[in-house]
Amino acid sequence: MSWDYLLVQATNGAVIGVIYALIAVGVTLIFSILKIVNFAHGDLYMLGGYCAYFVIEGLGFPPLAAMGVAMAALFAGAIVLERLMLTPLYSDATERKDEYGLIVTFGLAYFLRNTAVIAFGPFPLKPPSFIPGIQRIGNVIVTNDRLVAGGVGLVLIGALLYFMKRTIWGQALDAVSQSRDAAAIVGINAQRFNSIAFGIGAALAAAAGALVAPIFSLAPDMGVLPNIHAYVIVILGGMGSVGGSIIAGLVLGEAENLFTAFFPDPTRAFAYTNAFGVLVLMVVLIVRPQGLFGRRHLRME
Amino acid sequence: MRVKHSWRVTGRVLLVIAAIAIAATQLIGTTAKAADPIKVGWVGPLSPPGGYAEGALMKQAAEIAAEELNARGGVLGRPIQVVFADTRGKPEEGTAAAERLISQEKVVAITGEFHSSVFLAEMEVAHKAGIPIIAVDVWALKITAKGYPEVFRVAPNQALIATKYGDWMAAAGFKNVAVMFEKTDGGQSGRDVLLPVLDKHGIKYEVVGADPNSTEFTAQIERFKSHQPLFDFFMTFYSEAGAYPLVSQSHTLGFAPTARTGMANSGGPAVDPTFWKNVGQAGRYLVTELVGLPKNAWNDKTKAFVTAFKKKYNHAPSPQAIENYDAMLVLADAIARAKSTDGKAIIAALEKTDIVLGRGRYTFSTSREPDWAYHQFMNAPVALVQYDKANQDAEDAPIIWPRDIADVKYTYLKPGQ
Repeated sequence: MSWDYLLVQATNGAVIGVIYALIAVGVTLIFSILKIVNFAHGDLYMLGGYCAYFVIEGLGFPPLAAMGVAMAALFAGAIVLERLMLTPLYSDATERKDEYGLIVTFGLAYFLRNTAVIAFGPFPLKPPSFIPGIQRIGNVIVTNDRLVAGGVGLVLIGALLYFMKRTIWGQALDAVSQSRDAAAIVGINAQRFNSIAFGIGAALAAAAGALVAPIFSLAPDMGVLPNIHAYVIVILGGMGSVGGSIIAGLVLGEAENLFTAFFPDPTRAFAYTNAFGVLVLMVVLIVRPQGLFGRRHLRME
Repeated sequence: MRVKHSWRVTGRVLLVIAAIAIAATQLIGTTAKAADPIKVGWVGPLSPPGGYAEGALMKQAAEIAAEELNARGGVLGRPIQVVFADTRGKPEEGTAAAERLISQEKVVAITGEFHSSVFLAEMEVAHKAGIPIIAVDVWALKITAKGYPEVFRVAPNQALIATKYGDWMAAAGFKNVAVMFEKTDGGQSGRDVLLPVLDKHGIKYEVVGADPNSTEFTAQIERFKSHQPLFDFFMTFYSEAGAYPLVSQSHTLGFAPTARTGMANSGGPAVDPTFWKNVGQAGRYLVTELVGLPKNAWNDKTKAFVTAFKKKYNHAPSPQAIENYDAMLVLADAIARAKSTDGKAIIAALEKTDIVLGRGRYTFSTSREPDWAYHQFMNAPVALVQYDKANQDAEDAPIIWPRDIADVKYTYLKPGQ
């Protein structure tokens, strides 16, 4: 295999890796604050994609503005969901909080997915491209939509990192993520920040859905595979580490692409791609049980 | 004492009233029996992870068929009631649905299904119960090859479809073919039938399996592009929503459909209502199969169904929809001729089916040579069409194979020609 071929595959792997990271970063944020894995994330991503689609088709908004509307709508909707369904997580009366979070988000995922079939119809839909066309550099061909998704994704992740590290609200979120009780002692209303974290996580999912809709099309079950990818990335990156999930997204994107590109048996290479992603995760966890960038005190408990 | 006595009297009165009520309901039951509906089960995917888009089209067609039958007075003087069961594309759900339909709903027969693997589970239940089951859009050979007397198939099977693709590829002059199949019973059966046909014609190939939920194909398509010698055709057996990104990505990356490499998709999504919305110009020159009659061969029944379907649902019916409509009418015809809703009587009547419906003249083979021929609608129409314009309806696309019904002079329209 030539270097040229490796370059083509590695570039595509990086682009899809950034898209993976964008999908996963919302799960990371929610995990770091609420200490639950949001298994409905892929379905919020699906809702965001559909929301942007209907804003474009119905109200005539340009795609990026529609993405903003979808983010705002999902932010608000997610806060309502969090108030309705997740408050038992913060009560001392709830004994098995991990199991509660798991079952509630799984249930929500199935509910949203099946409601979407009824509400949006069973046939896949595709919104217009952000910027139609492709970029060709040597043998590398990347669609403008992938570049937009990757670029906007990086900007959003950068904005999230800035928010978390440089703003007082972000630092308060970080404080809640480290210790809810200690944060409460210094006067931070942990409940409010739980809502905000879930809202921001859902808004990031909506952004991801709106950004990838022109690439993969919208379908009610489009969130199933991203759910698995996001979960792998979050564990790989270290549960709760935003920076870690970006690196993990890139690692997964590259690992899957290069596996498909170079696995000797062409019949099985593509079919076993997802399995290979999980294999990478297993190897990393054997070597570093806390994930690539995990903080030890952030284990699920 | 008085109070006790009055309670005893009231109790007796209530007992008498209850006895009268029970007798009355039984009386009503016997008199109403003649108008009791004949229950027919429908199985198919209506929610994820199944092919719920195709399932929805099939369900719509079954509803239209039932409405038409009931408007004509039903069958044996009784209305037809379709009991729909969502199987979500999962064999275990198929088994549960078939068991519920047969044991609780007491259906007299079952039609439907879009996934071969699910149908294979459902037909086991029907076989044990002796209830006839008509396969609507499932193509795996082993469905009829098992030789169960209860199982009939109105769809073509992979021996009738994939063989046509292989023969057509040879006639069109392709020499090196990339084959991608989804890892389902339908996809694998397509591969198993196609490869010997390609061998027979001396066509070289590379075969790639795919997860049916995949939507990201870039790495695999780049791998195809780097293959030496270059592939001149890309054959895909892919029936899920991922078929749309597959076509888009393959075209955008300059692989297929292009002047160098042709492309076909087998499995259904290329004839669904939102195909063009999803693939845009990438779908032009794509080859796919039509499992209904070609437009120039439409009979009055096809025309009436297409008109009724468009009027009711605002989009054109897919070939799977016509298959399901016909399956319902085939079943109703058999029940009427059997003059009974007994399973054995319906099966015997189905074997003698000879009726013209929306997909032509239906008969079922009783030969077991080859094994998949048993209870198969052998003349099930299959035509290969190639879109020569974007936004073209499948039935308006030029028919390129088989040649006896082709409506264009060319066998394959090379992009750019």
